[in-house]
Amino acid sequence: MSDLTMPERNNEGFLENAWDWNDRVAETIAEDDGLELTEKHWEIIRFLRTFYAEYEVSPPSNRLFVKAVKEALGEEKGNSIYLMQLFPGTPAKTACRIAGLPRPTNCL
Amino acid sequence: MSTPKRTLIIIDQAPYGSFEGREALDMAFSLAAFDQTVSILFSGPGVNWLRKGQLAADIHQKSVEKNLAAAPIFGVQALLANAADCELFNLTQDNLLEQVELVKLTPELTGQFNHITFAG
Amino acid sequence: MAPIHTLHILNKTPGHQRHEACLAALGPQDALVLIENGVLALAKGLDTDVACYALMPDASARGIEDPASEVTMVSFDDMVALTSAAENVISW
Repeated sequence: MSDLTMPERNNEGFLENAWDWNDRVAETIAEDDGLELTEKHWEIIRFLRTFYAEYEVSPPSNRLFVKAVKEALGEEKGNSIYLMQLFPGTPAKTACRIAGLPRPTNCL
Repeated sequence: MSTPKRTLIIIDQAPYGSFEGREALDMAFSLAAFDQTVSILFSGPGVNWLRKGQLAADIHQKSVEKNLAAAPIFGVQALLANAADCELFNLTQDNLLEQVELVKLTPELTGQFNHITFAG
Repeated sequence: MAPIHTLHILNKTPGHQRHEACLAALGPQDALVLIENGVLALAKGLDTDVACYALMPDASARGIEDPASEVTMVSFDDMVALTSAAENVISW
């Protein structure tokens, strides 16, 4: 038995309830994507957690994810190449999944 | 490429009863993400989106008040509200979200936009 | 095609608040296109001075015949042409 009971997730791996999230949950979801979380990842994850607590919505699309990161952390981090390197695939989806946020509504 | 369109999205339905308003909000955010000039106007029962202190968790929904607070971050130009409807629903400076601009629904106002679309 | 100041695209049934608001908002150089349930205005009879169009598939789907009145029945392609002929568009 693992000491971590994974909270309920939907068929795409997103948490059913964003508040069931903790660091261990994030690490476990990241492992599914073959990702080991570094401080750079955590910076974005923490940003998304704060964003969600304030606005109760995931950035709805990849473009808006990049835009929101840019507003908060500057151009160096708020650009699609940087975020793509950290969160492969569709960065908004991958990052929100790991951060325990709902699926961005406009990402295919 | 044609010149960017000035779009106005009008939400005239109260929050929480249906999904149309939220979809309109998503549309506004997406237009803004593609550098289109977009504003949102609340009219009729739609002005109730703009009331402070919504505890939407009590009905297991996300707060549209909080969702709307993200509008400037995503590049939505303005949140407008029809002043007469705010008065009708007793929305005053005390309980109206700060970033909202009260307007009169006149041809001069709507004439500033070349594409106007209602939510739902 | 004559230039259109504002093209009003109406998909709400007669009696809907926005249907009435749309009819009230029609200006002299505007045009009206009825689509979806908006075509039901034809069943009821429409009294307006502006150029009026109705989307044929939506009308026939509801069993509404080509009216003898001044309403022009249009295809999807015609509607696209109308939209590009208009300076402004309002989707009611």
